[in-house]
Amino acid sequence: MNRNVFLSRERSKRIWGILFVLPSFTFIFLFMIYPLLHSFYLSFTRYNFVFDNAPKFIGLRGYVEAFKDTEFVLSIKNTIIFSIGFFIFLMVISLSIALMFFFKSRFSWFFRSSVFMPMVIPISFACILFSWIFNENFGLLNYFIGDVLNQPQWTHGWLTERNTAMGSMIIVTLWSSIGFQTILFLSGLQAISKDILEAATVDGATGWKKIVYIILPNLRETYVIAGIWGILRALKIFVQPMVLTGGGPGNATLSMYMHIYHTAFIYFDMGKAAIMAFILSIIILIFSILNIKLSTGQE
Amino acid sequence: MKVTNLIVYSLLLVVAIVFLMPIFYSLLTSFKTEQEIFSKIFTFFPHNPSSINYDYIFKRGTKYLTYYKNSIIITVVGVILTTILSSIGGYAFARLPFKGRESIIVFMLFIITFPLAVLLIPIYIMEIKLNIINTNIGLILPNVASLLPFTTFIMRGIFRSIPKELEDSAEIDGCSVFMTWFRVMLPLARNGIIITIIYSFYMIWGEYTLAVTLATEESAMPLSVALTLLRGEGWNYGVLGAVIVLASIPPIAIFLAFQKYLVSGITSGAIKA
Repeated sequence: MNRNVFLSRERSKRIWGILFVLPSFTFIFLFMIYPLLHSFYLSFTRYNFVFDNAPKFIGLRGYVEAFKDTEFVLSIKNTIIFSIGFFIFLMVISLSIALMFFFKSRFSWFFRSSVFMPMVIPISFACILFSWIFNENFGLLNYFIGDVLNQPQWTHGWLTERNTAMGSMIIVTLWSSIGFQTILFLSGLQAISKDILEAATVDGATGWKKIVYIILPNLRETYVIAGIWGILRALKIFVQPMVLTGGGPGNATLSMYMHIYHTAFIYFDMGKAAIMAFILSIIILIFSILNIKLSTGQE
Repeated sequence: MKVTNLIVYSLLLVVAIVFLMPIFYSLLTSFKTEQEIFSKIFTFFPHNPSSINYDYIFKRGTKYLTYYKNSIIITVVGVILTTILSSIGGYAFARLPFKGRESIIVFMLFIITFPLAVLLIPIYIMEIKLNIINTNIGLILPNVASLLPFTTFIMRGIFRSIPKELEDSAEIDGCSVFMTWFRVMLPLARNGIIITIIYSFYMIWGEYTLAVTLATEESAMPLSVALTLLRGEGWNYGVLGAVIVLASIPPIAIFLAFQKYLVSGITSGAIKA
């Protein structure tokens, strides 16, 4: 009697299990798995959405041709330059702020809220805001530099000049991303066992020595997560160039993602866009694996 | 010691000002008249504060209300769907034995490592064929789909941390599987549900990539895309400021209300990962 009840309970759980998972899986299948496969197929075809009735299979030739596209190669270069600049500043600044939060806790509600606040502003709104602040004639930044600091020769068209466009884009992205990264580092710091820190103080380690020899090594795991998140943010930039600079001036800030978007939805060359999207995915994968290897390989 | 204190707190103050300034300035400008904004003399605080920009939005600029409406519909429905689906899915992955359970969840996490760019084109083509392009539902569905793997994973973690004894005692008391989930497990998972709600709210409210691709007509655009249109329109900074303030109120309000959940959620997510 009991065994029968047990068996049907097991079966009931199994059926409910499938029922509960089915809706989510349907969503994910329709909007992630199927598109991924479709995209993979498209990357081997030539398909202009407006002119062609159906994709035409051309195999790997598309991949070779993609690298002959100078704009594509330029977009790769831009993306990598941005990513390196952004990543370094992101890690250094976030870690520094997290350390400051960790050691000094007066007024913490105010300081922490102010650092986290930009996180809740969606990146597209932030970009509109900053394209206004960076505006050459009416922007807050040039007003501050020109009138408050009295250095009008240092004012620039931040988003319209070749030299400053990329840097300005990095600054906006930093403004938006540092908050989250700081939380990651802070939670990693708080997870370090207090005993180790106390033992170090007893042994006579001063502030700096504590940081370098005790804290940093213990942050390795946090660093992997923070690093991957930072890399993904960096390599996938799309909103910032679209909204802040339109890829300009010229092509100076054209990112890979944006070039893919243009190819697909302005030139309607779907096959080529799919190829570039996959190449981007591979680059992301490579950098993520590199990050993991570098952080954990020095044990 | 005192010197380091001074340096650190000054640095933090500078950081705080830099981080808060853009929004604060936006707020101030939203109360300025157009003459004041474009006058030769730059002002920081409004000299004659007026609500003219907000009046414009609510009375004559009805398209702003359309954008706002779209954002609200897409976000609210999206958040509800995501929360429900990841609550049941998460429970299933945590406690219900069915074939392929482990492999499906690994597969789901693998899928989200691909950038959205790879999926945009097929989703666009699919939505045109299904005629849901430029609709709210056309944006709700892909948004939910892209959030589900991560939120389901979070809920799974939450459910797994609930002691099995509670579940077993419900079973002994004669609860069906559904009743166990609904009456016993769900209330215990309240933290996870709040985290899921907050996370999906933020992700959908400001989502740009899907929106700019799938909502090409103004009537269908949510705020995140519509705001970028303002750039070409003679740049009325006062109205821009007002719209940004209005568009940022929901996220900021939720942030202030749920601050501790947000931080603990990211923390536990990071540790459990």
